[in-house]
Amino acid sequence: MTAHLSPGPAGAERDGRRLAVYVCQCGGNIGDYVDADRVIDAVRDLPDVRVARRAMFTCSDTNQQEMVDDVEREGLDGFVVACCSPKLHECTFRGVAARAGVNPYRVTQVNIREQCSWTHTDDSAGATRKAVRLVSAGIARARLAEPLEPLEVATTPRVAVIGGGVAGMRASIGLADAGLEVCLVERTAGLGGHVNELGELFPRGVRGRSLVDRMREEIARRPAISVHTSARVVAKAGTYGNYTVTVREGDETAEVAVGQIIVATGFDAYEPTAGEFGYGSRRVVTLPQLRQRLLEAPGPLTHLGAPVRSIAYVYCVGSRGPDHAYCSRYCCSAAVHASLLVAERDPAVHQYHLYRDLRTYGRNEVLFSESRRRGSAYLRFADDDPPRVECGADAIRVTVHDLLTAGEELTIDADLLVLVTGMVPRENDELAGVLKLPVGRDGFFNEIHPKLRPVETVVDGVLLAGACQSPKSSAESVSSGMAAAAQATSVLKRGVALLNPEVAIVDPVRCDGCGECVGACPFGAIELHGTDGSRSATVVAAGCKGCGACAPACPTGAIDLQGYTDAEMRATILGLLVEVAP
Amino acid sequence: MDYDVLVIGGGIGGMESAIKLGDMGYRVMVVEKEPSVGGRMVLLSKVFPTLDCASCIATPKMAATAHHPNVTVVTDAEVHRVARDGDGGFHVDVHRTQRFVDLAACTGCRKCEQACTVAVPDEWNGGLVSRRAAYIAYPQAIPQKALIEHPGTSPCTDACPAGIRAHGYVSLVRSGRYEEAYQLVLDATPLVGTLGAACYAPCEAACARGDLEGPVAIRRLKGFVAERHAARDGVPNVVPAEPNGRRVAIVGSGPAGLTAAWQLARSGYGVHMFEAADRPGGFLRLAIPAYRLPADVLDRDIENVTALGVQISTGAPVHDLDALKTDGYDAVLVATGTPCSRVLGASGEHLDGVEPGLEFLRRVRDGQGPDLTGKRVVVVGGGNVAIDAARTAVRLGARRTLLAYRRCRTDMPAHGREVDDALAEGVEISCQVAPLEALGDEDGRVVALLCERMTAGEPDESGRCRPESVPGSEFEMACDVVICAIGLEPAVDAFPGVLYPAGNGTAGVDPRTLQGHPEWLFAAGDAVTGASDIAHAVGQGRRAAFMIDRWLRGEPLGSFPTLDDRRPAILRTEVLARQRAYSLREPRLPAPAPVTAPVGFARLEPSITEPEAREAAGRCLDCGVCSECGECLHVCPANAIDFGQRVEDLALEVGSIVVATGCRLFPADLKPQYGFGRYPNVLTGMQMERLLSPTRPYPSLLRPSDGAFPRRIAYVMCTGSRDESVGNPLCSKFCCMYSLKQNQLIMGVLRFAEVTVHCIDVRAVGKGYEEFFAQAKIMGARFVKGRVASIHETESRSLILRYEDIDHGTAAEAEYDLVVLAVGVQPNADVARIFKGDAIALDDWAYVDEVDEDFSPSATSIPGVFVAGAVSGPRDIPESILHAGAAAIGVAAYLEALPSRAGSRRTVGGAGLAAAAAEVPA
Repeated sequence: MTAHLSPGPAGAERDGRRLAVYVCQCGGNIGDYVDADRVIDAVRDLPDVRVARRAMFTCSDTNQQEMVDDVEREGLDGFVVACCSPKLHECTFRGVAARAGVNPYRVTQVNIREQCSWTHTDDSAGATRKAVRLVSAGIARARLAEPLEPLEVATTPRVAVIGGGVAGMRASIGLADAGLEVCLVERTAGLGGHVNELGELFPRGVRGRSLVDRMREEIARRPAISVHTSARVVAKAGTYGNYTVTVREGDETAEVAVGQIIVATGFDAYEPTAGEFGYGSRRVVTLPQLRQRLLEAPGPLTHLGAPVRSIAYVYCVGSRGPDHAYCSRYCCSAAVHASLLVAERDPAVHQYHLYRDLRTYGRNEVLFSESRRRGSAYLRFADDDPPRVECGADAIRVTVHDLLTAGEELTIDADLLVLVTGMVPRENDELAGVLKLPVGRDGFFNEIHPKLRPVETVVDGVLLAGACQSPKSSAESVSSGMAAAAQATSVLKRGVALLNPEVAIVDPVRCDGCGECVGACPFGAIELHGTDGSRSATVVAAGCKGCGACAPACPTGAIDLQGYTDAEMRATILGLLVEVAP
Repeated sequence: MDYDVLVIGGGIGGMESAIKLGDMGYRVMVVEKEPSVGGRMVLLSKVFPTLDCASCIATPKMAATAHHPNVTVVTDAEVHRVARDGDGGFHVDVHRTQRFVDLAACTGCRKCEQACTVAVPDEWNGGLVSRRAAYIAYPQAIPQKALIEHPGTSPCTDACPAGIRAHGYVSLVRSGRYEEAYQLVLDATPLVGTLGAACYAPCEAACARGDLEGPVAIRRLKGFVAERHAARDGVPNVVPAEPNGRRVAIVGSGPAGLTAAWQLARSGYGVHMFEAADRPGGFLRLAIPAYRLPADVLDRDIENVTALGVQISTGAPVHDLDALKTDGYDAVLVATGTPCSRVLGASGEHLDGVEPGLEFLRRVRDGQGPDLTGKRVVVVGGGNVAIDAARTAVRLGARRTLLAYRRCRTDMPAHGREVDDALAEGVEISCQVAPLEALGDEDGRVVALLCERMTAGEPDESGRCRPESVPGSEFEMACDVVICAIGLEPAVDAFPGVLYPAGNGTAGVDPRTLQGHPEWLFAAGDAVTGASDIAHAVGQGRRAAFMIDRWLRGEPLGSFPTLDDRRPAILRTEVLARQRAYSLREPRLPAPAPVTAPVGFARLEPSITEPEAREAAGRCLDCGVCSECGECLHVCPANAIDFGQRVEDLALEVGSIVVATGCRLFPADLKPQYGFGRYPNVLTGMQMERLLSPTRPYPSLLRPSDGAFPRRIAYVMCTGSRDESVGNPLCSKFCCMYSLKQNQLIMGVLRFAEVTVHCIDVRAVGKGYEEFFAQAKIMGARFVKGRVASIHETESRSLILRYEDIDHGTAAEAEYDLVVLAVGVQPNADVARIFKGDAIALDDWAYVDEVDEDFSPSATSIPGVFVAGAVSGPRDIPESILHAGAAAIGVAAYLEALPSRAGSRRTVGGAGLAAAAAEVPA
C-alpha cells in the first residue's frame, strides 16, 4: 500500500516539522476492524513524519510516557493521534504534549473509532482504507498547526442559583461555605419548593418542612448568599466565567455579575387528565394529594367525612407510558412510604397496591418489605392491561388482572383510590430560552454526559441541579445540588479560567469593516471598531466559541479560525484524497 | 499538614472527588489498595444507558487523577489507622505494600510477565483466564508498571534449612525449564543430586498439598533435574568470579564444607579443602547407606566443586589451625561434623559384636561390612543413624533385626518415612526399652542385651516424655550383634582450646556469624550445631561462606540484611481457602515397593521420567504465588525487580477525609443452588462484563467450558439481593441495569443469541433508564417474572433452570447454554476498622451511615470525614459521581472552616494551571 500527498498550497511547503503518528487499537474497538499496521505502513513515509507506531491504548499511561520519550528522543514538535473522538481524549493528549514540552495545540486527534471502525464493522478492509485517508488528512493538517496559547481570563467569584428548592438552597449553602458569593433566585414568594409541602421524607423520617426551615436558617446565617424571591432571570450575557444575569424581582431589574449559573428549577407533579383512572371523581386523589392530606390532618385518614377503610393505589400513572416514556423513579418508594404512614395511623386500613414493576431501589426495599409485613396487598398488572376504574357514590371499584395470581381477575372496592403520579418537566420556556438550555427527549434539561460531566450543560457556565435534570428524591436532589456547587467551585475558586484559543481572528489589513461577520456570529462575539472608512472587526476572544460561522461570511477572506485555518482545512481535504491501494 | 484531603479509594467516586478538590486548589492524596486507580468501572464493558465504552469514560478520569498537579496517588496502599488530631484534622497511617518492582525503573515492558513461571487466576478477568505472578494488572492500569504477587514465602521454601527456593525449582520444572531449576538449586549448594536423593525433605512436610492427597514430591524433582543435568552436561555451567587473590582453607568435606567451598570459589576465592578420610564427602559418603545415596550421585556433586578449581586434599587430617593461617590462608573454616559416637555408658560395650552405629555404617560403605547372615541384630537408638544401621543390617543378611528405643515410636527422631520403610523391610521396633548391659559369653562375644522396660514420665525440655524405668521389668534380649546408635558428637578435643573452649561440645563461635576466636576462624555445620542432617549442614555452609566473604571484604557482620531475609511463610490454611474445592490427583510419584529383607545396596528409588516430573510439579499450589524462581530477575532489562522491598509506612497529617472504598460484589457461591464455582458456564455479571469488554479474556463471547458460542443465555436477577436467606434484604440498585445493558451487548455480538431474564421487578430508575429497558425489549430480550429455584448441569455442561413463571402461574424448567447471575452488592465495612477513637457509624446493613443524609449527603458521623460512592449504599456510576461531587463540596466547606487553615488559606491558581488538561473545553 502506498500513499502520496500532493503538495499543498503555499503554506504547506514549509519544512522542519517533526511529527509522530500514533494509531490506537483501543483494545478491540478499533483493532478488530482497522488494521493498524497497514495504516502505519501507509503513512510512515509521509513528509515530516518521524515516528509512526501503533498502541493498544494510546490513552494509557505507558503510551503517554512513550510519547513523552519520543519527543525527547526525536525532537518532535507535534503529534497525530488516531484513536477515538476528540470529545473523549483531546484534553488527555494535549496534557501529554504539555508535559513533553510540545505546544498542546499542535496535537491533532483523528477519530478512527466513532467515525471509522464503529461505523464499518462489516467491512474491515474498507475501514482500514478509510483510516489511512483520515490519518493522512490529520498529518496534512498537523504539518500546518501553529502553536497557540490558552486565553487566560479572570473569573467572577459569584454564582447565580436559579430555583430555591432544596437543590438550589443546598447548592447555595455549599458555595458560600466554599468561599463564593451566591445570588439565589426563586420564582415564588418563598424558598422551599415541593419539599416544603412534604411531611416525613423516606427513609429517615425527617419532615420536609423542617428540612426547608433548616436550610432557610442556614442561608440566613450566610451573608454571602443574597436571596431574591418572586424573581426571575430574564437575560444572560457575557463570556466564560464572567456573565451578567438580569434578575427581575417584582418591578425592579438588577444585573448581577456571576461566574457560573446553577439551574435548579425542579419539576411539576404529573396532573392526570380528567377521567384517567377516574381522576376527577371525589374518591380519586393523586399521591401528592394523599401526602398533603397526611401532613395536614393527624390521626386516621378520613375522606368525605368518613374514615377510610380501604385504599387502592395505581402505580405509574403518567409514567412509563406513551406520553411520558420515562420512569419517575421516586414514586414507588413514595407511595409505599405513604401507605406505611396510613397503616401507622390505622393498622386496620386495607391497602391494595396495583403496580407494574415495584421500584423501591436500594435501601427503599425495606419500605416495601415492611409494608407487606403490615398487610399491604400487592397486585401486579401487565404493561398492556391496566386496571379499570368505576366510580360509585360510596366506593370506587377497581378491576385488575393480577399476574401474581396467574392473571386472575380481581375486583377491589375501595374508599379511596390513589393515583401514584410521577414528575414531569416544569414549564420553563422563558428560562430555557434565556439560557439556551438543552432539553432531552424526556423534556428535562440535559447534562453533557451523565458520567464525564454530569452537572454541566453544553452551555458554558450553566450547570444543573436537582429534578430539573431528571426525577430525583429530595436527598438525591440535595446531593446533585452539592455536586453542582462543587463543579462551580472547582471553576471559580481558582480565580482565573483558561479558555481554548481556537477562536476566530481578523486580519485588520484585509478587513474592510463591512460588518457581515457581526451578523453571522451567533454568540455576539464580534465587534466593529473605528469610524467610517477605517472600521474593522474585532473578535472578543472570550466570547468566541470557535464555531467558524464568521469565516465564510467575510467577503474579503480576512477571518480565519485559529487551529482550523483555511490552509489547514485545504490540506486536510487534500489529505483525504490520497490514493490508497485496495 | 501534609495534604488538605485524603481520599481513600481510587475508584470512580474517589477519583471524582479528588479531581474536583484538586481543581479547587486543595492538595489531595489518593490511597488505593489495588495496583492501579480506576476501581471496578474500568473493567466493565460498556456503561448504561449511553453504551459508552467503560474504559473510554474511566481512563480520562484515571489519567486526570494521576496527572493532576494537586493530586498525589499512592497505589498498593491501605490506610491502616485514622485518628483525630487537636485541630480538626487527622493523623493517618498508611501501609504501602511491596510490589517487588521499582516503579521508577520499570518500563512496563512485560518481559518479567513472559518469563514468570507461575500462573494464577486473573482476578482482573473474573478468574476466567490466568495471569502470571509477575504482571501488569490490566492494559489501562495506571501506573502501567509490573508488580509481583508474593503475599508470603511458600511453606516449602520457608521450611528449607538449606535456604533453597524449593517452590522456585518446582515451578521451573513445571515450565519445563529443567536446567534453570538445576541452576536455582546450584545457586545454594553444589549438592543438588545428593539432596535430591537423601534429603529428609522438610519442604514436603510443609507442603500445603500435604493436607490434600499428599505433598508435592519436591525432593525427587530435585533429583530429576540433577540427573537430567548430569546426562546433558555434567559441568556446573557456572562462571566463577575473577579470582580475588584470597585463600580460604576448609577443614572437612561434608555437606557444610562442600557448600561453603562452592560458594566461596564461585565468588573468586581460592579454596583448599582438607579431608581426613581417603575420599571427600564426609558423612555423605561414610554414614549414609548407598541405597539412599549412591556414590556416583555424590561424586557428580563434588565435581561441581572441583570444576571451580577447589582443591581437595584427602587423607589430610588437620590438627593445627594456626598452621593453616601461617600457611597463608586468609580464613579457615572448620566443618568437621560430628565424627564421634556417643557411648552407651552400659557395661559390656567392649564385647565383641558390640559396635557404634557410625563405625558400622562406615565399614559397610568401605566395603568391609560384616556378614550378618543368620545373625540376630539389636540396634539401640531411634535416630536416623539407628534406622540406617538397622536397614543396613537387613541388607547384610541378618536373621532378625530389632531396634530398641527407650521412648515411644512417635518420639523417634528418625524421619517417619525411613521408619516406615525400615518396618516394611522387616526391621522390628521395640519401643520403651532401654539397654542396661551387654552380656557376653566366655569368648567375650555378646550373646544378649539386658534391658528394662520404660514408661513415659513428665515431659522434658524437648517436649517429649522423659522415659522412666519400670522397676523390676528387666529382661534379656538374645542377640549376636549390638549396634549402638544413640547419638553423635563433634570431636571436641580436635582443636584444643580453639573451637570448643568449654569442652562441652558447644562450639565457641557466634551462632549467627559463625565467627570464632581468632577472627579468621569460622566453623559451620554439625560441628557447631550438633548432629543434624544434610540440609541443615548445607544451610550452615552457605552461611559460613556468606560471613567469610563479608569479613574478608571488610564488611561488618553485625547489622545488615541477613542471609535469606524471607517474608513470613504463608499459612497452609490460607492457601487452601483460596478455592472451594480441589480435585485430588494421584497421590504421589510411584514409590518403590518395599522389599522384605532386601539384599545389596542398590538405590531404592527409581529415577523419575520427564512426564512424571511435570505431573508432579503440576500439583504445586503456588502457595506464595511468586515462586522466587528468579526468572524475572534474569530478564528485566531495567533491573527493576527488587525482592528486598518491604511494607512502607507513611504517616500523614490531613485536614479532611473522603472514604470512597466502594462496595463488594455478592459472592455468588453463597447461593449454592445456582452452582457458581461448580458449573463453569454459570457466570457472574462481572465475569460477563469481562467477556463483553474490548479487553476481553476470550476472542469472542464464548462459554468457558468448551469455547462454543452460547445460543441460549439466561439471567438470574437479584442473586444475593432482596434475599433474606443470604442476609441482604436490600435491592442492589444497578444489577437490573447492567443486565439490561449486557442483554443488548450480547445480542449485538451474537446475532442468534436468545436472552431470557428471570426477574422479579425490573428496576430501571434513572435518567434514560426506562427507555433503555424498552430498547432491550425491542431488541428481543425476554423477561420471565419469578425467582429461579435451582440450576443443574447436564452432561453437555448446559444448564437446567428450575424457575417460577409468575405470569403464567407455573413452575417450569428450561435449558440454557450459559447462565449469568446478576449479583448485587454487599457493604464493605472494613473501613470502619481504621477509625480509632471516634468510630464511624454504620447503618443497619453495615454501610457507612450518612447521618444527615437529607441535609448533607456524604457527611458521616465524624466531622471532617465524608463518603463518596457505594461505600454508603448501593449506587450506580452516575449516582456515585454526583455523590462524589457532594463530598467534594462538603470537604471544601469543612476545610474553609478549619481554624488551622485560617492563616494558611491557599491562594489558588498559578502553577497548576499551566497544564492544558485544566483548560476549560470550548
